[in-house]
Amino acid sequence: MKRAWLAALLIASTAHAHSASDAYLTLTVGEAAAGGVIHGQWDIALRDLDFVLQLDDDGDGRLTWGEVRRHLADVERYAFAHLRVEAGTRGACTIKPTSRMIDGHADGTYAALFFDVLCPRAAAATLDYDMFFAIDPSHRGIVVIHGGNDVATAVLSPQHRRIDLPR
Amino acid sequence: MRTHPSGPRQRFVLPTALAMLALCVGQARLQAAEVAAAPFKAPYVPSSDAEPLQEVPSVADPAVRQMRSLRAAQAAAPRDLPAAIRLADAYVDYSRQVGDAHYAGYAEAVIAPWMSEPRTPAVALVTQATILQYRHQFDDARALLDAALRSDPRNGQAWLTLATLDMVQGDYPAAGKDCAQVAGSAGFDWGLACSANLRSYLGQARQSLALLTQAAAASAGAPAGYQAWVQGLIAETAERLGDWPLAEKHHIQALTLLPQDNFLLVAYADFLLDRGRPREVLTLLADHAQSDTAFLRIALAHSLLHSADAPRYTWIMAARFEALTLRGSDYFGREQARFALQLQHDPQTALDMAQRNWQVQRAPWDARVLLEAALAADQPQAAADVLEFLRKTKLEDPVILPLASQLRERLRQFAGGAP
Repeated sequence: MKRAWLAALLIASTAHAHSASDAYLTLTVGEAAAGGVIHGQWDIALRDLDFVLQLDDDGDGRLTWGEVRRHLADVERYAFAHLRVEAGTRGACTIKPTSRMIDGHADGTYAALFFDVLCPRAAAATLDYDMFFAIDPSHRGIVVIHGGNDVATAVLSPQHRRIDLPR
Repeated sequence: MRTHPSGPRQRFVLPTALAMLALCVGQARLQAAEVAAAPFKAPYVPSSDAEPLQEVPSVADPAVRQMRSLRAAQAAAPRDLPAAIRLADAYVDYSRQVGDAHYAGYAEAVIAPWMSEPRTPAVALVTQATILQYRHQFDDARALLDAALRSDPRNGQAWLTLATLDMVQGDYPAAGKDCAQVAGSAGFDWGLACSANLRSYLGQARQSLALLTQAAAASAGAPAGYQAWVQGLIAETAERLGDWPLAEKHHIQALTLLPQDNFLLVAYADFLLDRGRPREVLTLLADHAQSDTAFLRIALAHSLLHSADAPRYTWIMAARFEALTLRGSDYFGREQARFALQLQHDPQTALDMAQRNWQVQRAPWDARVLLEAALAADQPQAAADVLEFLRKTKLEDPVILPLASQLRERLRQFAGGAP
């Protein structure tokens, strides 16, 4: 075992390109979202979800829609436990899941969770994100915020978990 | 922009790659590689439960079962360092094998509690260094290895990792010393293979081949990983000598030992691309599109074949690099330079990337992409560092040396005032 590991080290020598874990959080805020509601779409890789929630029920190495569909409630519970939006001293905003779909990305298939964020009256909001950080510190949450005609992006990491949302 | 979460949007046909990429910047959302040609889907609800969506590690794979049981053991004893190291090492090994960086991240999380201790145990430092090396954070990896060796000077894994690092970065005198330490701490056969590997970069490929052949003969009964490593080194050294049949034989032997190994697959794919056999690359890598390095070779093969799918593969590769850039990763210099040169036909961008990459890693392939880009951009002076490196190290290589000669000739023409 020890020797096999040593061999692995040397083979690892030369350059490797490799996809690490990303999730994509697209938010529409401000005027773009009617009635002060923030609309969100959160794309999470099925590969990552399989690691934490074991979606591959029959263990054949291939996730089907049936397997994913049966676990969608777990997926939603898991994901939204790791996302918070707060409106300063006015307290937490409510995140309301609206629908769940499937989305294709260049590196694989993702679950797409759609949601609305409702904050108490007009207040500056802050988003806190910590999905997967405890099991994979190299995970990144890539946030794209559409506000009016502006598009802002941010990359969330274990060192940078929080962003202010524009109003 | 598809931001309104109101339901499935209409599907639309793949427009030109660049226009689409412009639309997708910031999201890098694309059709998955595996899905057959053309339509680019908006988020959708599959119509059938049987629709396959994603390949994941299967419990049919012994490595996956092994990781599961180590994970359970570690969860049962979260403060047990040896259990954590066993799990982390299994993750890193798997990550390397399948070319999937997720598992390097999982490994990092497993040893994180010890990394934050004031006196981190050497084994944890070495595992973390391996993770950082895998991500091409070479300086940080080196600092951890130095720290590990201060507390445990006979740590064979630390010396071997350091030797690897020094070879990747082209510091061959340091690598020679590391290999001597490997022999003293990990054992003679490891030291032999380490030095043999080093010689193939120093104009001693024949001796390297002889030593590696000796190591291979002595390796019967050793773990498949070790044997495959030696076979892969023989293949690489044979390529250095221009002995294509010998190289191919050992590429195949290595893959017989470790059929799913991303590193070995990609090395053989590069061999096939260089030999003008792109069709075989598509067969070889058919099940490995998940790995970015493998995907680049698939895209290159399609381009060489002028297949109808070539633009789609180029486009997806561009999007994958875009996603990597978004997350702030910049350790793909070699692959990105090659992509820019051969698939985007942009020598200037390729040269810029190859030059940045050369500051970080200096393996033969890193030299090669820089020379190819400098030639294509007709900027021979940009290759000066690499030419000097090749002169000093005496690297043998039937592909790289002719490139270097052409560039030297071009430099002479420049010096003589030629256009």
